[in-house]
Amino acid sequence: MNTTMPGTWVHVRLLLRKDLVAEWRTKERLSPMVFFVLLVLLVYNFSFELGGAALWEIGSGVLWSSFVFASLFGLQRTFATESDNDCLDALLAAPVERGALYLAKMVGNVLFLLGVELLTLPLFGLFFNLTAGLYLLPLFVVFLLGSASVASVGTLFAAMTGHSRLREFLLPLLVLPVLIPALISCVAATRVILEAGVPGRNSPLWPPELTVHVAMLGLFALVFTTLAWMLFDFVIEE
Amino acid sequence: MTRSLCLIVTIAMLGAVAAVFLYAPTEKQMGDVQRIFYFHVASALSAGVAYFLVFLGSVQYLRTRHDRWDRLAAVSAELGVLYSAFVLFSGPLWARPIWGVFWRWEPRLTTMLITFAIYVAYLMVRSYGEPGERTRRFAAVVGIVAFVNVPLVHFSINMWAAEQQLHPQQVELDPAMLHTKYFCYFTFACLFVLLMRLRLNQERLAARLQALLRLAPR
Repeated sequence: MNTTMPGTWVHVRLLLRKDLVAEWRTKERLSPMVFFVLLVLLVYNFSFELGGAALWEIGSGVLWSSFVFASLFGLQRTFATESDNDCLDALLAAPVERGALYLAKMVGNVLFLLGVELLTLPLFGLFFNLTAGLYLLPLFVVFLLGSASVASVGTLFAAMTGHSRLREFLLPLLVLPVLIPALISCVAATRVILEAGVPGRNSPLWPPELTVHVAMLGLFALVFTTLAWMLFDFVIEE
Repeated sequence: MTRSLCLIVTIAMLGAVAAVFLYAPTEKQMGDVQRIFYFHVASALSAGVAYFLVFLGSVQYLRTRHDRWDRLAAVSAELGVLYSAFVLFSGPLWARPIWGVFWRWEPRLTTMLITFAIYVAYLMVRSYGEPGERTRRFAAVVGIVAFVNVPLVHFSINMWAAEQQLHPQQVELDPAMLHTKYFCYFTFACLFVLLMRLRLNQERLAARLQALLRLAPR
C-alpha cells in the first residue's frame, strides 16, 4: 500500500488540475450555481419577508438550503464532462487507481462548492443587512467541512446516477436524506456564528457551543469520504 | 414449510390481537390507546432487523456477487419500508390523544422518517435503474451508505431536538403487558420470516424465468 500512495496523490493532483483548468476555461459549473443561489435567495425573500430580525432566526437555514440546492445542481455535472467523449472509459483504462479518481472528483466538488459559498456570501450579507466582521471567520471552517460533507456523499452518488434513466430525479432523492445530519450541524453552527455577530454582543471569536457542531460535521465528512472512497471501486467497475 | 408457517402466523396473530385487547391490562394514564404500543414497537424492531439485513445482503453481494444476497437485500428493504410505514402510521394515531397533535418533530419520530426516506430512495434506485448487474451493484452501495448513516442521523437528531424528546427512555411494564409484548415480538418475527420467504421465493422464480427466457429460441 505504501509504495502506491505517492502515485495516488500524483494522480489526484493531475486529475484535479484537469478539472479545474476545464472549469476555468468554460465556467460551466460555477456561474450557473452562483446564479442559482441568487435566485433561491430571491425566492426566500418573497416567501419569508426576510431581513432585519428574521436573519438571526432563519438566516442560517436560508443560507444552507440555497447552498444544498445549488450543490445538487453542480454535482450532476461531476461526471457529465467525462461521459461526453467517453473520457471515463479512457480514464478507467489508464493505470489510475479508482480511489484516486474519487478523491480528485471529490476535492474538485469541495472547491466548487467553496467557490459558490464564498462568492454568494457577500450577496447574502447585502440582502440581509449583515454587517461583516471578524466573527465571520469561523464560518470558513463550517463552509469547508460542510462542502466536504456534501461532496463526500454527492460525488459517490453522482457517479451512480449518471447511468440511470432518471438521473435528474435520483441524485437529490439519494443525497438529501443522507445529508440531513450534516445539514443539521451546518445550520446550527452557522446560527451560532451569526448570533455572535449581533451588534452589541461581545462574543468570543469561537463561541464554545460551536465546537460540538463542527466536530459532528467533521465526523460526517470523515466517515463518508472514507466509506465512499472504499465503495467507489464497485460503482465504476465496468 | 411455507404452509405451516402461514398457519403459525395466522394463529399467533389472532392470539396477539386477543392478548393486546383482552389479556393486557388497560394502562392507567393513557387508557386503551396505549394498546397501539405492542404492534408499534414490534414493527419498529422488525424494521430495524430488515435494515440490518439490507446492509448484510449488500456487503455480501459486493464480496461474493451471488444474486441471492442481492435478493435478500432487495426483499429486506421492501419489508423495512413496509414496517417503517406502519410505525409512522401507528405513531401519530397514538400521539394525537397523548401529545395532542399527530406529529411532533421529536427525535425518534424524525429519525424514523429520515431512515424511511433513505430506504425509499434505495428502492427507487432498484426500480429506476435498468435491470442488470450494474443496478444491483449500485443498490448494494446505497444499502451500505444508508445503514452507516442511521446512527449519524440518530445522533444528530438527538442533538437537534433533545428538549423535544417525548418517547419514554425506559418503561416498567406490568407482567401481563410484558408477556403481551414478547408474544407480539414472536408473532411479528414469524410474520417477518413468512413474508421474507414468500418474496424470496417469488424473486428466485422470477430470476429462473428470466434465465429460461434467455435460453428459449426466438
